[in-house]
Amino acid sequence: MDTTRRGFLGAIGQVTIGAAASVAGAGQSASAEGTDVPHWGMVVDLRKCIGCQACTVACIMENAVPEDAFRTHVSVYELVKEGQDPAMVMLPRLCNHCDDPPCLPVCPVEATFKAENGEVLVDASKCVGCAYCVQACPYDARFINHETQVADKCTFCFHRTQAGLLPACVETCVGGARNFGDLNDPESEVSKMLRDNEVSVLRPEMHTNPNVYYIGLDDVLDGRVAGEAAYHPEMADAVQHHGEGL
Amino acid sequence: METQVHELVGAVHDAAWQPWAVQYFFLVAISVTSLLMALPAFVFGKSADLRAARLALMVAVTTGITAPIALLADLHQPFRFWEFFVYTHKSSWMAWGAWIVPSYVALMLLFAWAIHRPEFDRMGQDDWRFAWLFRLFSLGGASNGFARPLGMLAGLAALGILVYTGSEVMVVRARPLWNTPFLPLQFAATGVVGALGVMLILERMLCRDGALEATLNRRLALALALVAALGGAWFAVAISGVSPVHSEALASVAGFPVWQQIALWGAASVAIPFVLALTLPRNTGLITGLIAIHAAWMFRWTVFMGGQAVPKVGSGLYDALMPTGVAGLMGVIGTFGLWVFLMIVYTTFVPWSGDAADATPSARTSDQAPRKSASPQEI
Amino acid sequence: MTNRRNILKGVAAAGALGTFGAGYAETVQKLARGKWSGEKPRDEHVVGNSIPPEFSVDPETGDVTLNPDQAMSYTMCIGCTTMCGVRVRVDKAKNKVLRVAGNPYSPMSTDPFIPYESSVAESFAAMAQAGPGQGLTRRSTACGRGNAVLEQVDNPRRVLKPLKRVGPRGSGQWQTISFEQLVEEVTEGGDLFGEGPVAGLREIRDLDAPALEGAPEFGSRANHLVWMNCVDDGRDNFVLRWLKQSYGSNNFTRHGAYCGGAYRSGSGAMFGDFKAMPHAKPDFTNVEFVIFAGTAPGNAGNPFKRIGNLVAKARADGDLSYVVVDPILNNAQNGPSGARARWLAIKPGTDGAMAMAMIRWMFENDRYDAKYLAQPSKAAAEAAGEMSWSNATHLVIVEPDHPRFGHCLRGSDMGLSIEGEAYSETDPFMISSDTGPVTGPVPAGASAAPLFFDGVAETQNGPVAVKTALTLLREEAMSQDMEAYAKDCGIPVEKLTDLAREFTSHGRKAAVSSHGGMMNGSGFYNAYALMMLNTLIGNLNWKGGTMIAGGGFPENKGPAYDLASFPGAVQAKGLPFGRNVPYEKTSEFKAKKAAGAAYPADAPWYPNAPGLATEWMSSLVTGYPYKAEALIFRNTNPIYGVPGVAHLVDEMKDPAVVPLIISIDPFINESTAISDYIVPDSVMYETWGFTKPWGGVATKATCARWPVIEPKMDPNAEGERVGMETFLIAVAKRMGLPGFGDAAIPDAEGTLHPLNRAEDWYLRGAVNVAMIGAPVSDASDEDIALSNVARIADDLKATLKPEEWRKAATIFAKGGRYENIERSYQGDKATYAFNPPMLVWNEGLGSFRRATTGTRLPGTPAWRAPEFADGSKVSDHYPREDWPIQVISFKSPLQNSYSVGAKSLLRIVASNPVNIGRDLAAAHGIQTGDMIRLTTPGGTLESVAVVRAGVAPDTVAIEHGFGHRGFGAEDITIDGATMPGDPRLAAGVLLNDLGMLDPTRAKAGVWVDPVSGTAVRHGLPARIERI
Ligand SMILES: Nc1nc2c(c(=O)[nH]1)N[C@H]1C(S)=C(S)[C@@H](COP(=O)(O)OP(=O)(O)OC[C@H]3O[C@@H](n4cnc5c(=O)[nH]c(N)nc54)[C@H](O)[C@@H]3O)O[C@H]1N2
Ligand SMILES: Nc1nc2c(c(=O)[nH]1)N[C@H]1C(S)=C(S)[C@@H](COP(=O)(O)OP(=O)(O)OC[C@H]3O[C@@H](n4cnc5c(=O)[nH]c(N)nc54)[C@H](O)[C@@H]3O)O[C@H]1N2
Ligand code: SF4
Ligand code: SF4
Ligand code: SF4
Ligand code: SF4
Ligand code: SF4
Ligand SMILES: [Mo]
Repeated sequence: MDTTRRGFLGAIGQVTIGAAASVAGAGQSASAEGTDVPHWGMVVDLRKCIGCQACTVACIMENAVPEDAFRTHVSVYELVKEGQDPAMVMLPRLCNHCDDPPCLPVCPVEATFKAENGEVLVDASKCVGCAYCVQACPYDARFINHETQVADKCTFCFHRTQAGLLPACVETCVGGARNFGDLNDPESEVSKMLRDNEVSVLRPEMHTNPNVYYIGLDDVLDGRVAGEAAYHPEMADAVQHHGEGL
Repeated sequence: METQVHELVGAVHDAAWQPWAVQYFFLVAISVTSLLMALPAFVFGKSADLRAARLALMVAVTTGITAPIALLADLHQPFRFWEFFVYTHKSSWMAWGAWIVPSYVALMLLFAWAIHRPEFDRMGQDDWRFAWLFRLFSLGGASNGFARPLGMLAGLAALGILVYTGSEVMVVRARPLWNTPFLPLQFAATGVVGALGVMLILERMLCRDGALEATLNRRLALALALVAALGGAWFAVAISGVSPVHSEALASVAGFPVWQQIALWGAASVAIPFVLALTLPRNTGLITGLIAIHAAWMFRWTVFMGGQAVPKVGSGLYDALMPTGVAGLMGVIGTFGLWVFLMIVYTTFVPWSGDAADATPSARTSDQAPRKSASPQEI
Repeated sequence: MTNRRNILKGVAAAGALGTFGAGYAETVQKLARGKWSGEKPRDEHVVGNSIPPEFSVDPETGDVTLNPDQAMSYTMCIGCTTMCGVRVRVDKAKNKVLRVAGNPYSPMSTDPFIPYESSVAESFAAMAQAGPGQGLTRRSTACGRGNAVLEQVDNPRRVLKPLKRVGPRGSGQWQTISFEQLVEEVTEGGDLFGEGPVAGLREIRDLDAPALEGAPEFGSRANHLVWMNCVDDGRDNFVLRWLKQSYGSNNFTRHGAYCGGAYRSGSGAMFGDFKAMPHAKPDFTNVEFVIFAGTAPGNAGNPFKRIGNLVAKARADGDLSYVVVDPILNNAQNGPSGARARWLAIKPGTDGAMAMAMIRWMFENDRYDAKYLAQPSKAAAEAAGEMSWSNATHLVIVEPDHPRFGHCLRGSDMGLSIEGEAYSETDPFMISSDTGPVTGPVPAGASAAPLFFDGVAETQNGPVAVKTALTLLREEAMSQDMEAYAKDCGIPVEKLTDLAREFTSHGRKAAVSSHGGMMNGSGFYNAYALMMLNTLIGNLNWKGGTMIAGGGFPENKGPAYDLASFPGAVQAKGLPFGRNVPYEKTSEFKAKKAAGAAYPADAPWYPNAPGLATEWMSSLVTGYPYKAEALIFRNTNPIYGVPGVAHLVDEMKDPAVVPLIISIDPFINESTAISDYIVPDSVMYETWGFTKPWGGVATKATCARWPVIEPKMDPNAEGERVGMETFLIAVAKRMGLPGFGDAAIPDAEGTLHPLNRAEDWYLRGAVNVAMIGAPVSDASDEDIALSNVARIADDLKATLKPEEWRKAATIFAKGGRYENIERSYQGDKATYAFNPPMLVWNEGLGSFRRATTGTRLPGTPAWRAPEFADGSKVSDHYPREDWPIQVISFKSPLQNSYSVGAKSLLRIVASNPVNIGRDLAAAHGIQTGDMIRLTTPGGTLESVAVVRAGVAPDTVAIEHGFGHRGFGAEDITIDGATMPGDPRLAAGVLLNDLGMLDPTRAKAGVWVDPVSGTAVRHGLPARIERI
């Protein structure tokens, strides 16, 4: 399946070392520059994230994300670097709409596909719910929607961008951390942000070529985070069981 | 510079492959390895092994039917299974599996049928209540010269299953515990362990032939040794650091007490039956068999549920390792229910032991089963 | 036998098959459902159940095409006290709110907000990707809570019909009653609960009988109706009209005393107004350095979202660096911003020590703005190009026995001839002459004055010791050395000096900001000291400095209608229930004085404080100064929010103590749970109201709230939805109170208009908002259609004059009235400057006597360890050896005190384990996940521990917003049907359960700050143990 590629790689000269690996090889189609076909991408400026979870909830509301699942959420960390004061990091996570999405080739029935504007999407009417893609995504960005029984994930708010609107999480981002736009357009805000800042991506070693970039991402957080996990209470009496067990 | 990280807010992800998937991988591995163990006798005429082969075939058939049903149950849209055959995505091992599984099941069943056809035919000739059924089974003939090519094809399909199931899981780079070339081998080796375990149990229940038990136990010891060797190699490679994938896999779970316990438990479930099978090959079949089954099952449970309990980006572990919920448990038990049912049917209607070839059917009254009361299939 | 064997086999087979069936029933079901084993989503291909877009914007033309099934309306969020302007998206057919985003006209939700002239269509396009800056520039937001609270509208536990308690108060048993029965019972009283007679509102409103026999200063018996209110959600003017001008009770209070009252009072001390308590906020966009001490921008704070947004932008794109001084590290700090955002741990309740240390260093190193401080008058300040001024140079009488001790020396003291009365505004303040004592003090004039003077003034009554205010401040600062301050606050001397140096290195582009963190035992003085740092660098009213908010466009008194007065209005009189007036005004004082010992009073009085809800709890249960007969809780929850109030709840539940409790609220919260009646009320998007920003907005802004969905409360017999306004109008009419009915609201010509429905009030309020200054333009048909003001257009036309209704429609179509952002500054100065002087010495504070001790307190910022009412130190009662740790509270970034019912929030963070620092945890062998017990003199709680690095030593911090018993956390029985408590709603713990009573008070009352009378929720002495 053809993956549409961003074509302005000159602009990402400042990608940090780790991320360089992931964007290497994505440079072929410079021809896309100047085309009318946008290539959506997100630039998350971690310096602006206040961990308010507006994005998380807006996404839930906009996309009717069922209980126990998130299309996006914001992890909150306390980091203690040797010899420094502890510091807070809020890390918004969502599907990276990878240009080389590992979730795609594994789909047995071609339900997962890469759309013209770069979105990685699932055709729900085709998905057999095998969850292979859920396993294959290196970012825990997918889940089985227990209401529809098919694979679900962030769509970059396909329905909204089609209508000329911003994704819900971007529209409501209180800190202004989430920025969305056309990576093919060198004049777009996101392209400018990529040019003007050092950016990195999550799990560059997976060579997925994400379309979600981060400003100010600490290496220790860019993959699986080795550290103490968040406390989750047991709500014995209120455990939610899904239709299909577990 | 060392950085300590403490996640204060984080999401938890459910396991997307559920106990049914474990059951599938468990049963299908047992089926294909049993079938492969049955082939030398049936296809290549190693007649000394016939008794073991008959047990193996029984195991292959019963688990081979159960497995795909478990697989279907793990699909969230089971009705859409037909899509596998309409949209085959060539880059997906699962898509290939969709073709391999039915091929295997069909060939394996045909093969088993072919093996038993002369017997069916004979039983159809007798004058008893269910004779008509066996006439149907035999399709009105006794020849089974095609059993051999069928067996070879089924064997190929079985290898296909081993390759695809192993690869399907192995290629998932996102899960370091899965993404190792050892995995297909481990699936196969533990499959053999599981198959021998089931055969041992059946031997104890149906044959009670000390010699056969000893043979199976010895083979089990061999298989366990292989499993241990693979496990050891995995660990060595992971520790040595020659393969970053393996080191990452180890790192992803090392340090969690629950995984240390699993490792110990796993080692024990290999070591104990190994020692027993080697030192006391007779009269331990029930125990070694049970532990072997347990080991094969646990390996898969750990790989699948444990693997899914390792967050890909977050911290700590999700508690997918021990999923609660009645439905999940029922899935596991239900699969075994189907298998037990198939075993009863098989032992009742299929002259599996081959004894029939020598035994003369006695007078049958209309309310009697086809075999004499002492027949081993009347479990 | 074979037969039996076969049967056995059959049974086994059947059993096995049955097990299989059970395990696979679901698969079978799924198979049976066919193509969609789950629910078929709305869009079966790509976007699943995502809701259809509200409108589409053509990327080329910017044209907006509406989705006819959805309405988009600008109204207000009340997900917290910030009350942001938001855009609500409604499914018209289902009358259901689908999602909420911000209102781009509103500074609370957007920066920079769009010009008010923009049409509604333009406002839609502004937030769209097709808009300028790809929609990012004008994106308009709701916070996480704001996005979730729409779930409160459909909360299954909402009260929709009037409820009356069955059985004892607080038993959780209710019956529904008709609105008419409700109105009759609360008005007429009687044996309402089979527990004996209860006085109704009619009987209590006796304007002739005294509230307290022999003490006329307390006004009439009508004051026995006391009204507790949350924040002003934009409906308080309606309440105040009913309560004060119609009913005649003077007893109204809001939640300030357990919100951030200590800070507000401390700030009020400097701004010279203890009642309105002005406070300034940093100009977040242009300031270079801020010390946030006791407020957590982006974690909470008011306006939460706006501050979060501005601070985030300023630290990333602008010039801002800041330090959050806080016992706990929370979302206010931001690691990726590096040194731009730092955290500095402080011991709870010791900001006064930190601030006084900084002040000391500034005096010692001449790092205060001497030029600014030297201006003794507005005229002098103006001449010197200053934007504000202070009383730093004014002379204060420091002669201990002088009758005017603590007051500023005035012209009349010197025998100067003055215009007007002595000590009135026209009586000049005295300053030291340039040459000091030799020539004596002179009246403050239009030029700079000496900053320091310590000597004697020859008054007309002889020599009197005087000092300048700044001298007094310096003395206070010097009273302790840096090491001692450092020890008290836990911040090393180098860090204190670094902080002071950095603070004084940015000219006026530096600021100190505070709020909730002052709610401790020394909060008032801590706040005063922190705020004084701003005055010492003279940053007020400067761009990049600190600013008072621009305010709003008032709805109640405007060019079109006078909603604030009406014929027949009564004048509510009497000293307030919360004792926030001088004790010396009471008959008790006079009687005691006559008896020889004026002090102590029976209970504390707080002349330097505004209304004190916290103290009301004490007044209610002790009947001091008098007994209340009826209490109304409106949208408030002191039983959850006041630390230590649990000790008073049993009395509150006793009908003999307060015979009638009525709640007006959409929910059964912890407080409404102990009431006798609940009047159902509207939730956010169903209500009317007008609010102005709490602070932090430089321009005028009024947010308008209107019912953008059909309210869910049941209608009354007349078909009006039951709610607060319906209730108050009905009671007023039944009692024949003035100000309601057909002739109630005078317009500019004096013609009276009716007040029979909420609309009669709020629509006219909207006209006032629209007409102030240059009136807003008329709403176009398109504006009305796009914003769905069409929903209320009939009411607008029926209620208002023809030339008015489109103006009011504009207010609703745009969600309020907002001055354009260009009005923020005039050059480098704030447009809306605060003019009265900054008080380096506050006379009222420096001259009063504490009712409980008869002693005085400093009139200038000071560092004072926490005290109880009798003046004894808290540490003397609860020594460190026995109570080695301190517990504090901090706001949840996600929850507020009543958002727990918005279930989407709980799926992100489900509980609030308590935060414990590493060393403390290690000392007690505590690890994350362990259960611990916290014990204070006020109570205990058990919880799960989370061990973190970001907690000050010997401190335990508890996130606020959990540990509920109301809202459905416990069983609710209505008409015999029980809705079982949901453990998820009860998750976590509430710090207030650890709150304490003041052991030195004869009449029970919770521990409060001695000056501001505000609740103490930080720095509770405690013990911790692992369990
Ligand atoms: N997310 C969110 N936002 C809110 C609200 C909410 O509930 N949630 N509520 C709104 C309301 S009503 C208000 S009043 C504002 C309040 O907003 P803030 O004043 O910012 O919030 P608080 O959490 O009350 O207090 C601020 C900080 O003071 C710290 N603190 C405690 N003791 C001390 C001390 O002795 N010294 C210092 N320096 N710091 C101390 C606390 O740890 C806390 O982080 O927020 C409003 N915004
Ligand atoms: N330990 C601790 N205690 C605290 C704080 C803390 O940080 N820690 N914070 C303090 C602060 S800052 C404050 S301001 C106070 C707040 O305390 P309060 O002002 O007493 O009240 P809230 O808890 O905000 O309750 C307001 C009530 O209004 C009702 N309500 C909610 N939504 C709506 C609506 O849409 N319409 C109507 N009509 N009613 C509604 C709900 O029943 C809710 O309980 O608590 C204080 N208490
Ligand atoms: S983040 Fe995961 S789900 Fe999204 S495109 Fe990449 S691999 Fe696929
Ligand atoms: S769950 Fe659906 S989208 Fe994912 S791999 Fe399976 S069929 Fe494809
Ligand atoms: S782009 Fe849309 S779907 Fe994706 S995380 Fe944001 S709101 Fe959710
Ligand atoms: S809405 Fe923006 S600021 Fe808030 S948590 Fe999400 S990304 Fe961060
Ligand atoms: S800050 Fe959030 S919860 Fe509070 S009013 Fe604004 S949007 Fe609503
Ligand atoms: Mo507050």
